[in-house]
Amino acid sequence: MSHPVRKAFPWLAIALGLAALTWALAFERLPTADFTYDNGNEIQTADPAKATGQPEHRVLNALFEGLLRSMPPERWQDKFAPGENVPMTPEPAMAERYEVSPDGLTYTFHLRKDAQWSNGESVMAEDFAWSWRRTLHPETAGKYAYQLYYLKGGEEYNTAHVDVGTEVEVELPTRRDPLQPFPRGTLLLGKVEEIRKGAKPTVPADASDEQKERIEAKWKDQWVYFVRLASIRRSGWDRARHRFRKGDLMAVSKDPEQSQFIYAGGTLRALHILPDFESTVGVKAESTQKLVVTLKAPTPFFNELVAFYPYFPVNRRCVEDHGSPNWTKPENMVCNGPFTMEFRRIRDRIRFVKNPLYWDAYNVRLETVDALVVRSETTTLNMFLDDQIDWGTQIPVSMLPTIKKRLGTQFKTAPELTVYFYRINTTRPGLDNPLVRRALNLAIDKKNICDVVTQAGDMPATAVVPPGLPGYTSATGSEFNPEAARKLLEEAGYPGGQGLPEVEIMYNDLDIHKTIAERVQQLWRENLGIKTRLRGIEWNSYLSAQDKLDYSVCRAGWVGDYPDPNTFLDMWTSTSGQNQTGWKSKPFDQLIAEAGREDDPQKRLQMLHDAEQILLDESPILPIYWRVSKNLVKPHVQGWFLNAQDTHPLNLIWIDKHVRDAAGVRR
Amino acid sequence: MNPLVETLLVVGKRLGWMLLTLWVVYTFSFFLMRAVPGGPFASDKKVPPAIQRQLEARYHMDEPLPMQYVRHLTNAAVFFDFGPSMRMEDYTVNEVIAQGFPVSATLGIIALVLALLFGMTAGVISAVRRNTIFDFGFMLLATVGIAVPNFVLASLSIILIVFWLQLVPAAGWGSIQQALLPALCVAAPYAAYIARLTRAGMLEVLNLDYIRTAYAKGLAPRTVIVKHALRGAILPVVSYIGPATAGILTGSLVLERIFNVPGMGSFFIDAAMQRDYTLALGMVVVYTALLLVMNTLVDLSYAIIDPRVKME
Repeated sequence: MSHPVRKAFPWLAIALGLAALTWALAFERLPTADFTYDNGNEIQTADPAKATGQPEHRVLNALFEGLLRSMPPERWQDKFAPGENVPMTPEPAMAERYEVSPDGLTYTFHLRKDAQWSNGESVMAEDFAWSWRRTLHPETAGKYAYQLYYLKGGEEYNTAHVDVGTEVEVELPTRRDPLQPFPRGTLLLGKVEEIRKGAKPTVPADASDEQKERIEAKWKDQWVYFVRLASIRRSGWDRARHRFRKGDLMAVSKDPEQSQFIYAGGTLRALHILPDFESTVGVKAESTQKLVVTLKAPTPFFNELVAFYPYFPVNRRCVEDHGSPNWTKPENMVCNGPFTMEFRRIRDRIRFVKNPLYWDAYNVRLETVDALVVRSETTTLNMFLDDQIDWGTQIPVSMLPTIKKRLGTQFKTAPELTVYFYRINTTRPGLDNPLVRRALNLAIDKKNICDVVTQAGDMPATAVVPPGLPGYTSATGSEFNPEAARKLLEEAGYPGGQGLPEVEIMYNDLDIHKTIAERVQQLWRENLGIKTRLRGIEWNSYLSAQDKLDYSVCRAGWVGDYPDPNTFLDMWTSTSGQNQTGWKSKPFDQLIAEAGREDDPQKRLQMLHDAEQILLDESPILPIYWRVSKNLVKPHVQGWFLNAQDTHPLNLIWIDKHVRDAAGVRR
Repeated sequence: MNPLVETLLVVGKRLGWMLLTLWVVYTFSFFLMRAVPGGPFASDKKVPPAIQRQLEARYHMDEPLPMQYVRHLTNAAVFFDFGPSMRMEDYTVNEVIAQGFPVSATLGIIALVLALLFGMTAGVISAVRRNTIFDFGFMLLATVGIAVPNFVLASLSIILIVFWLQLVPAAGWGSIQQALLPALCVAAPYAAYIARLTRAGMLEVLNLDYIRTAYAKGLAPRTVIVKHALRGAILPVVSYIGPATAGILTGSLVLERIFNVPGMGSFFIDAAMQRDYTLALGMVVVYTALLLVMNTLVDLSYAIIDPRVKME
């Protein structure tokens, strides 16, 4: 190496170091937001059609608005004590009023005339019809698309369920962008006259359910549909200039290469063969302001559902121009809620600013809001104590006694629509006996778990459905009774636990679940003489094991999707994907199905009550406790109230500056 | 041979090996990740099978595994496109890295500068004032700095600096004040190590003849130490900067979480835990490339600084 290079090297290195340091120290100063809160983990998406989860819920409620919005009653401050849950009901939002037909099947929503998108366009009935269509479109792959299965034809559209005689929309591969389902390619509308399926492929006997489904899906792609053409909606990007005429009989298939073995006459390639949305799905924009929705069955909680984000509208032009997911970028996003997104930094924050075009902007008092991404409960607590956040949503459970003592009323807690329970694999020998399962249930001292282990004020669960749902009384469960538990076990043929195969409690390895499992292990040993092993595994493996019934007992939790007992009960039917216990009960399935069709609210709740009683008697799950919500809220935060859903609309929150300044908050 | 051609040849050979290593690491991670139970769409609210299939189709996960491998590898190797993130659906993997890397780099640079500043100062003082209270004090501190895990240090410093002295905010990212505490915690073990290296280097140099000559000439002690001794003693420190930089950029997972810094470290762990296949793969590739590049740079700089080292 030559001499000058060697001589210059130290200086070069120093210069480089200095340049790097200058770059590193150049921070762009960010003005503090009016209100800052911890929104939990990074949201998966800001697209209402694809999102699921609590942090997403808070963000979407700030950015968008459905036909209705869950709101507290007027003057709730005067009506409810500070520690009490305030009931929330769906109030007019994008719709200023709505009517329900006497049979409970048809909802007519009248949109308010001053409803606007953040780009100044009016929000119209067609926006909802189009957004729901997008949410249900199979290619959108929304995890909550099933929340729209209450609409007539919603499930069929989402799962592409087409029979002979179905009106269909056949989409040809003539899109602007093949990877974007919207804007769509040329649509052929017509009626299916025949479906040629060919021979069903043989499935190997040892194939898993997943493999079977995959083979079946591939086979279905080869089916040839004969469609009598009624009309054509040509896309602007269709260069093929097919010559179609109304009345033609077209042969279409999603997989023409394979389908030639079924029909040799040649088939047209289709991207999708779906039921025709406009004629089969129960949503119709009758005018710019009038949206008529038809349901599959009377659904008394449908008003709660339209206030839930899978039912939120998105701006068609915005989505079609930018495509998914680019339309969710702050610079592109058009929304209709109380706030818009100023910027979003991954794993840092979302900055909301007030949307001046929001119809109720007058009552939105925060100008800017920061939704922070915080990944550690301890960090939340630190930031709260250091006045960096005004509202904390995650609390380190181990610190609860200290928090309660030191922070007093800044710690807010109230019953929540959440149940913590143990699933039992009812296909395992021993556990297939309901007597054993009931014995296991009776031998758990749930009060002790709440008092000693969780220490948060959670309530011991005597039934499955949490209290606090209007009009519903939970079925009668059982209290802690080791004597009765022992008797049941003896009756089942396992006196003193003799002969019962070893039980294993599986949980995802968090401290709280481990401590509870240890306590249950001890209780079962002391009260029943049963030996129990513990298996703590990582979250994804735990989900997978639970799904494959690869466990004997496992912990679980369920947060209600909407304030109705149905959300805690319909998951236990034999066909439900959430069941995951192997438990099947005909009378239970029947009650749930009948309740879904019943239009008398009293009778419906009674049916759900009876169904819950069956669930408790058969005990495929052991409810342990009903959780309470836990929040940290600064005294200067006004308009924040407790409720059973643990949702706290940002549009109602405001800051009492006098209280804040008097407390000497450093900002 | 021309030294320049020689250098280029060596660099080219290193580059080839780097690409090969990257490919092996990529392939290994790709298949290992798919072998682990669970998937990116798993959640405690299970999605119906029909929707699960739609989700898999969106990310081409319905294709046979070898085909997915070829597709992803081609996109990654040819277009540097790692595809969309499966758990942060609004972003591509490239966007996630583009936002996370500058944050990690900022934290790393500040930490490295702090480590050098504190480490070298302490090392020089310890060596010059050998066997005094300063020496023992600094070296005790250095030992503690290496031994104490960073989350303990972080917790202690939060109690002390945030809540007692109220000097800087507890967490977050966006100002120098917020960067200071995490940078200090990242820097601590490196500073400790640098202090020990500097001290050892100085002690060796201070006993050499040319230092004695410099003193004999009547030069001021400060000039002797800074101008003559330090130059000789700094070599081991320089060679340590390479691995330290790589380590600092990759190794602050825990601290990023405690101080809520939106850097790359926590993406890595979270991506793996959530089975975000595409993001995890992107992270693996970036980290591997970073380590390889840093090691190569260090090897090259050895050859420049020390005439005895030959490039091969």
